[in-house]
Amino acid sequence: MADAGTDSAPVADPEPVGPASAVRPFLVTAGRVADGGSGRAMPVETQVVATAAGLAALGRLSFEQYDIVAACRLPQSLAELAARLRLHLNVVRVLAEDLREAGRLAVYVPDTDATHDASVLRRLIDGLRAIPDSEGVSSDSD
Amino acid sequence: MASGPSPTPKGYRVTPTEPLVRGAAAPGAVRPPLPVKMVIAGGFGVGKTTAVGAISEIEPLTTEASITEVAAGVDDLTHTPRKTTTTVAMDFGCLTIDPTLKLYLFGTPGQERFGFMWDDIVEGAVGGLVIVDTRRLDDCYAAVDYFEHRGIPFAVAVNAFDGRVEHTLEEVRWALDVSEGVPVTVFDARERGSVRDALLVVLELALARTEG
Repeated sequence: MADAGTDSAPVADPEPVGPASAVRPFLVTAGRVADGGSGRAMPVETQVVATAAGLAALGRLSFEQYDIVAACRLPQSLAELAARLRLHLNVVRVLAEDLREAGRLAVYVPDTDATHDASVLRRLIDGLRAIPDSEGVSSDSD
Repeated sequence: MASGPSPTPKGYRVTPTEPLVRGAAAPGAVRPPLPVKMVIAGGFGVGKTTAVGAISEIEPLTTEASITEVAAGVDDLTHTPRKTTTTVAMDFGCLTIDPTLKLYLFGTPGQERFGFMWDDIVEGAVGGLVIVDTRRLDDCYAAVDYFEHRGIPFAVAVNAFDGRVEHTLEEVRWALDVSEGVPVTVFDARERGSVRDALLVVLELALARTEG
């Protein structure tokens, strides 16, 4: 188990951190923590999108699962989901994995080789350069 | 595109456990863009969220994440570092480059005194920007140490509060003891163009590394 797994077990850390929420975060996940046993949690920027089966099953989903699938009509990152649904990031990781296994969510974990590829970096650089500053001047206008 | 099996888009790997939901994205669902992550680090109140907000296409969002705190406690007779997981608020934003590519900017929580393991947030980032307030230089040591230790390309950006900087860039470089290859610049976290240019410095560095 990774970071959150060994270290944030309720017995190990009785001290509350941050403001209390109405529901203790890992009650939602039945005490499970995020990393799927594979030793590495999904990156925060991992993209998730609802499947046709997921949307079809919306009426049968409850609470957080419903919220996640409904929010994923458009692709978004785990971080965006967590922020918009006000859930702890690791809770979203666990629930997204559940929903993926149930076929209700497609999960796209970015491949580091792809994101660090020179052509991708060049596209990022070109894309950023085209962004105008507050005065409408882009950095590639010179 | 709406039905039938389709291959995993280029740039992705399937999640660790099979089966991946193949071609089952909802009819008409947009293929997710390739998400590229950069990290904005620095001490508390140094302008991380301001910088993210200056360039993000969405209002910065906040979520709770876990980071591991490695504290070398003086009361620890075993001399083994204590590791505890702390829940922190993380601000982030994003910028769509094109329908297939999206830049995410994550502000790592400002922590000064302890060693923090940000792997859960930073893993896979293409680069980092360490924002510095010259009045509180030591607030960014943890971030500089982290990026150097992890070998992540990063630049130091001095946030010019009210257009003023208390120390020269050379003094900042000396004080932070960063290596020659680490760019040290001045920027204004409130200005989109200024944030854009600071991010470009980091991306150019990351690109040079792939080509080097």
